[in-house]
Amino acid sequence: MKSTFLLVLASLLATFAISQDMPEMEMPNLKKQAELPTMPRDMPGWIDSPGLDHLFYKAAPYNWAINRIPFFAKDMFATGVGHAMAYEALVRGEAPTLETKTFDTINWVLKHQPSLPVDEGAISPTFMRKYGYLEKVFDWAHLLHFQTIDVFMHQGWTDAQKEAEIERLWALYQAEPYAITGLPMNMEYLDSFPYSMKFRTDYPKVNGLFWGYHWLQTVNYDMLYRVPVQDQAAQYELIGKRYHDVELYKTDRDFMPMTAEMSPRFAKRFPFIANAFDNLHMLHDNVNDIFSQTNLNEAQKQEQTKIAIYRVLASTHSKEKAGDGEALTMHDHRFPPSQPGMGMMKGSEGDEMWMSGMGWMNMGECAHCSIALPEGQPWGATVFADGWTMTVRCLMCARDMSSETPGRAIIRAATEDPNRLLVLISDEEGNWTTNIKDVVFLEKFAEHPECSAWSRAFTSRAAFDTYVAANPEYKDDKPMTLVEWAAINHGTPDTFSRPDKPNPYKGGGGTPPVTKSGGKP
Amino acid sequence: MKIINTISKSLALLAIVGTLGIAPMAMAHETPCPYCKMKVVQNTKEMDNEVVLKVGNKRIEYRCVYCIIKDQKKYSGDLIVYAPSEKIGEPIILKRTGGKWTAPEGTVFLNVFTKHADCAALSRAFTSKTALDKYVAAHKVADAKALTLEKFIEAVNKPAK
Repeated sequence: MKSTFLLVLASLLATFAISQDMPEMEMPNLKKQAELPTMPRDMPGWIDSPGLDHLFYKAAPYNWAINRIPFFAKDMFATGVGHAMAYEALVRGEAPTLETKTFDTINWVLKHQPSLPVDEGAISPTFMRKYGYLEKVFDWAHLLHFQTIDVFMHQGWTDAQKEAEIERLWALYQAEPYAITGLPMNMEYLDSFPYSMKFRTDYPKVNGLFWGYHWLQTVNYDMLYRVPVQDQAAQYELIGKRYHDVELYKTDRDFMPMTAEMSPRFAKRFPFIANAFDNLHMLHDNVNDIFSQTNLNEAQKQEQTKIAIYRVLASTHSKEKAGDGEALTMHDHRFPPSQPGMGMMKGSEGDEMWMSGMGWMNMGECAHCSIALPEGQPWGATVFADGWTMTVRCLMCARDMSSETPGRAIIRAATEDPNRLLVLISDEEGNWTTNIKDVVFLEKFAEHPECSAWSRAFTSRAAFDTYVAANPEYKDDKPMTLVEWAAINHGTPDTFSRPDKPNPYKGGGGTPPVTKSGGKP
Repeated sequence: MKIINTISKSLALLAIVGTLGIAPMAMAHETPCPYCKMKVVQNTKEMDNEVVLKVGNKRIEYRCVYCIIKDQKKYSGDLIVYAPSEKIGEPIILKRTGGKWTAPEGTVFLNVFTKHADCAALSRAFTSKTALDKYVAAHKVADAKALTLEKFIEAVNKPAK
């Protein structure tokens, strides 16, 4: 009885000590739960099994297609090394040199990437021995990352074949006990534990690397999705440079990059995969925070790691469905109406969310003219520039948004043929190259609410003529070449607006209180 | 130095706004100056501040003419700079054609800032020396000199001490 009392007392004191010794808990508007989460009763049995249970790729003709873009492949392989080195350092008690010695070592690897995937167990033996169950979850999700990329980079399959295979890969992934849920989860909730935010606060450089990897791992999907294989590599020249020059070393992000922010089209088509990747990346953040706690003993770290895994496992949410759930709980599976591939974010309301580096944006609206995005075909375009990816209504919005943004840009746009994506890549001066050599444009400037009708791209002159024949209001308009079209600039539309609210991550603007029904007042 | 105080106050407000993370309504796709990374100062009723670089098909906002001259090497094509002058709505047009810079006759430049927080106020173009002198007197700018375009570029490119 006495020992039980002492155990309870020690546990209470430990919890008290943790909450007392977390300076970030004092930070404004970063609300956290006061108590450490407790072990659930239905923790799956495999989590205590010491077996390796190593899973490998599904045998398939597309495996290793990632090597079609060698620099991309090597950058992706290097992310695994970076993860493993940081975890090994943390579990070996080398946190004091994480931002110096470990950072330098990882940084060297990122600049001298391996040509093949590296067995993380060989780099992080201590981590594997202590947290093998966590590695099973990470490894299985990372295989999903790699194989979905391989499918998109496989030559010889149609987009429909690729998408069907992605669905099969998802089913295969979900069939294993280590699978992470594809349901959207509330990111504010997942980042609200007593230990949360510790890693990004104490180790901003290494955290920046982690979030940089997650930027790369999510930005690549729109680079590949429905993009002909021969048009993928040219995009990585720009994206890869951005990754190495800027994204890896950013320490001022408000939150980790989300899949739907970086690859909105992929996230909309495969929301369950986008959600799984975000939940995976949030698990990385949770684990980083747990490992970097100085006030948790090893047993507590093990316990909190297992609970963090439990929170995102597919098995934990097997009876739930997307769109349901009580706000700010583990089963908050709501999502923004226009983007099922993302859980609710801190301060989000409806489609509005705070995007780091862009401010408040509305995912249901054109990022340039603020008019609602079109439903159906043509779906519009996306603009990749300055590290972000934004969805716009039409080609004009895409071009003008790129024109006012410093640096190179990529436009991925719908044409009259739903199976042919236009990929335009610009240099520093806004001179574009195209993947469709006969592309022509219609642009009869009028009011923005109809811009997706009068600003379009066509794969050929014949396609343009067909459209004009069906829409006689354009009979006097001539098809424009890429050079002619690129030289036009209508500037910022009068219709542009953005929500005038504070950054929810920096003070004010928190999530509105939850009503009894679980909805917003 | 009244104008500097005014701009400093604006900057302070911007800093506060930035700290709070408030995104002002009117600024579209707001990005920092590509060179100094500080917020581009918007036009006010009293004075134009936006410096726009037209290069190829791009129109990019910078914080001041100094920042553009410093950043020009990244562009290979011809450049047109719309530099705010002392006259609202009447920018001075500077051109780099075939690598050579030109400005309208009589254009002079002020370039006396020591910190980029002040560059929008203290690195500016004027249509005449008279206009520059008036600006300097009105705002009590210390150590001001009217520089020709050539001397201005030379001063910008001078290696840091």
